[in-house]
Amino acid sequence: MAVINSVRPTNFLRSFKNKASQFALNCIGGKNKSFTVTSDRAINSFDWIGKNLSSAENRLILGASALMSQPFIDAANKDVDDETRRYSICRTVAKILAGTFTGYTIRKLCIKSIDAFTKLPNEIKPEMKFKRLRSCLLPTIKSTAEELAQYKNALGTLMALGVMVFTNFIIDAPLTKWLTNVFTGHTKPKEGVENAKSR
Amino acid sequence: MPNLGRFFNDFKNTVLTKFGPNPANMLIWTGVLGWFFSSAAQIVAIAANDQIPKEQKKFLIPQEIGDGAVNVLSFLVVTSAIKGLASKLVSTGKIATPAIREYLKKSKVNPKTTVGNVMFDISKMPNFYLIKDEYTKFKNGVDVVGMTVGSILSCNIITPIVRNKIAANRQRKALVEMEKERYQNIQSPKGYTMNDYLNYAYSKPSSGSLRI
Repeated sequence: MAVINSVRPTNFLRSFKNKASQFALNCIGGKNKSFTVTSDRAINSFDWIGKNLSSAENRLILGASALMSQPFIDAANKDVDDETRRYSICRTVAKILAGTFTGYTIRKLCIKSIDAFTKLPNEIKPEMKFKRLRSCLLPTIKSTAEELAQYKNALGTLMALGVMVFTNFIIDAPLTKWLTNVFTGHTKPKEGVENAKSR
Repeated sequence: MPNLGRFFNDFKNTVLTKFGPNPANMLIWTGVLGWFFSSAAQIVAIAANDQIPKEQKKFLIPQEIGDGAVNVLSFLVVTSAIKGLASKLVSTGKIATPAIREYLKKSKVNPKTTVGNVMFDISKMPNFYLIKDEYTKFKNGVDVVGMTVGSILSCNIITPIVRNKIAANRQRKALVEMEKERYQNIQSPKGYTMNDYLNYAYSKPSSGSLRI
């Protein structure tokens, strides 16, 4: 029986990924060029971002940038009529505000609550309540302080996702609906303007 | 009976080993899950809102489904690609701090052929431990910046443009279907065929022209 030499898809994908990565790397500043970040401020900023930017701050950044781009993209959408466009913009703004508010708050609260139960023995103070539970979420394998901080962020974010399955319906959806109605009410064209337009 | 205590410990340790050294990966995967749940809630919100007219719902619900699908896909594709590129910039030494550059120089790494080569990885070098702390801090920062830029690009620019195109097409089709249904229920006047009547009705300027 003849043996068919087949190209494994994983090898093909890896090769494609490597070629694409090399192309992109070469595009940044030229083929044989490298860059050294000499500013202490820039190095410290990268360090700070890597350590402190949790999913909550990330959600806040996404929300702020969404507010600066998405309503304008909806406003420029010529594929729909004026009325649909108006609804679409109002809903987009409402969705961003509601999503960012609940997303940030719940993530932050969950990360805080995970932190309260991930205490190292030397961090447990005598006046603390529930001392026995304070380290119940600590992992059983050794880790550095930075890894532990990222672990708390990750566990807090996973917990937040679980909480948000419910709050999406309890808070997000009604808040989006209420804000959409408020915004559509405020942006409704006046009767006279509407009639003049249709004439 | 499964040992719940052991399962819980394994779960905690997996979270630590997967996401502890790599915060950007955690942000990507939890971001994907977050967008998925959020889209599901938004679809329910539109469907339940009585103040949105039926025609608007025909546009907004597909917009939301498109938004969710494109969000998840673009998050995975665009964000992972940009984060991966940011990662490669640091791991190949294309971007480095003075300390990392000095280490590469001492290790006699060729700045022309090896630095910036996709197959080269600083963390695989035999004496990597000398620079590990400095390198990890810098790489994590660059990764998170790359991930954030990628997510802004995918969720706030690519997604709204693509989802609007998809939803507008769907609305157009849905409205055409609604119009068709309406005309199918009209009785043909005596002496006219249904086709004649429809042609007549379409030719009137006040009917048939959809405002899309």
